[in-house]
Amino acid sequence: MAKKSAAFPVGLYAMLLFALAWLTLPRVFAPLERWLVGSACFVPRVASSWFGEPAQAADREALARIRELDNELLNRVQQHDFAGAGIAMPADDERILCGVLSVSRRGGAGQPSELRLDHSYAELAGCRELVTKSGNLVGFLLRPGVGRAADDEFEDPARVILCNHRDAPRLYAALETDDGAQLRFVVRAASPVDPGPLRVDFWDDPYRAARLEKPGHRVYTLPLAFGSQRVPGGLLLGTTRIWGYPRSADEEALTIGVFVAPTFEPRALSHVVVWRSGRYRPPPLPSSSSLRSRRRASAIVYDLPGASHGRHLLVAKEAVPEGAAVVQDGLFLGTAHGLSFGSGLVTSFVASRKPWSLLFLPDGDDQPPVELHAEVLRNDGDVAWLSWHGPSREQLTRLPAGYLFTGSNGQFCPSGLWIGRAEPARFERNLLRVTVPSEPGPRRAEVIVGGEAL
Amino acid sequence: MRWLLWFLLAPQVFLLAGFVQDLGLPALDMAVLAALYLAWFAERSALPFLLLGVAIGRSLVDEASLPVHLLVIGIPVALLLPLRSLFVAHRWLWQALAAALLAIAVPKLAGLCGRVFDQPSASAALQGWQVVWSALLVPPLLSFLRFLPPFAGFSEPDGPRPMAVMADRAS
Repeated sequence: MAKKSAAFPVGLYAMLLFALAWLTLPRVFAPLERWLVGSACFVPRVASSWFGEPAQAADREALARIRELDNELLNRVQQHDFAGAGIAMPADDERILCGVLSVSRRGGAGQPSELRLDHSYAELAGCRELVTKSGNLVGFLLRPGVGRAADDEFEDPARVILCNHRDAPRLYAALETDDGAQLRFVVRAASPVDPGPLRVDFWDDPYRAARLEKPGHRVYTLPLAFGSQRVPGGLLLGTTRIWGYPRSADEEALTIGVFVAPTFEPRALSHVVVWRSGRYRPPPLPSSSSLRSRRRASAIVYDLPGASHGRHLLVAKEAVPEGAAVVQDGLFLGTAHGLSFGSGLVTSFVASRKPWSLLFLPDGDDQPPVELHAEVLRNDGDVAWLSWHGPSREQLTRLPAGYLFTGSNGQFCPSGLWIGRAEPARFERNLLRVTVPSEPGPRRAEVIVGGEAL
Repeated sequence: MRWLLWFLLAPQVFLLAGFVQDLGLPALDMAVLAALYLAWFAERSALPFLLLGVAIGRSLVDEASLPVHLLVIGIPVALLLPLRSLFVAHRWLWQALAAALLAIAVPKLAGLCGRVFDQPSASAALQGWQVVWSALLVPPLLSFLRFLPPFAGFSEPDGPRPMAVMADRAS
């Protein structure tokens, strides 16, 4: 008769501790996970030969329509992002549209305060420190080897600190009160626990400021010089939020603090504009760097059993980076979790619950694209309901119907990949219903693997 | 040999559950079945790597990373393990109760780990019907699977063991 083991399960607790250590050092153990899970994909990969031949490509008309939408999105992004700030910047400055690779570092109001761009410091040599978007001041471009970018090299993605970063300079700004008078003040980054990303520090007329009752005043920069850099006037910083005591029957309203909230959502940022003086001649560099390389590798996507939950097996001939976008005929299928042995696991957009940076292209010729930060709440087949954050209610009462594209979700998941048709929910402003076209069965696709400059 | 069978077949159980669901049969979270098997029937000394095999299987069907699945399945196993010696775990009533609790706890734990480690996944959504089906189906499935490979190679007996398994152990 076999005896039962009475040993205390030290090994089990050690495995749980190992899992915690794994989560705190993900890059160290990433090869182990790729190897283990890649090995487990061996069985479904062998079985995939019974799944049938991959479907043929979409018809030319559908492909042309998707390309047309992509071009329209890019045109409207450039038109919208380049507009506005040209009034404040020198006329001969060159405008460079940069994609955002990542946002990080908690700043004022707990919001992200740092961006990484898809251009390197070398490619942005000679650019002004100011970074704008439409008529908004977004932040400041850093220099490699200086301050917060002390450890950065010239080939690294350029780092931008937003105005709510603790190292961002104080700014001179003004707002127009309801009676038409101008209130001038100094604005600085707020603390992470404050209710707004920027905080007003000093007023030129604190007594009048204490009588501000209504929020939503637009705050613009006033001309300011710090060091060798100048901040021009007329750039929009955001709108005010008031913190204080409301008016009562016995007492007047008392404003204690005024905060400024930018008009953009940092986590939704897909593109920003960097300015280079027309007189500066940059050194010759490759026209396209590996940071913006959209090199694609061909692959085949198979449905895994239970594919209604949005998991697919990817078989490619080269290594698949983590988070790489999988595209079929211009349609965004999902992101891949790269594994060993030429395999990968793809989670479709509707099944993924991670936060996304998205671009929404409203119907109509002159509507500007809207940058959103969204999460899929639930899905039913090919239809997903997204909870989004983006422009405030004052800026945009309600999203119209339109097309949804990816925003910048990392180096290997660039913006502009078409997801599907989007419509606003009837009774909730921040809910979006997205229909993603898909078809079952194996299909040929492409994975964005980046790599050397084209 | 039993370890080879475990790492070859145990992860595929999650895909098999998806296949069964595609056929229209009730949805069952295999993490519940696996956690109950590991907690009440599997060899204690083999638990760490049995858990690893199950977590690999769950990572095939869920977008969170492998260590998250180790925690989501391993923590309930660690909590249920001491109960093995307290009462008769082989009674279906206790198994049904534990399965129902696990069907609630596993998604909640997945949601917690998703928030803490920034790895959300669709399996964090609690579905009421899955709790019911877990309570109804897990006990008979466990009674059946415990004597099938690869589970049979690691099941702790509550009586005389099948001769084939003992011979394999001796070799």
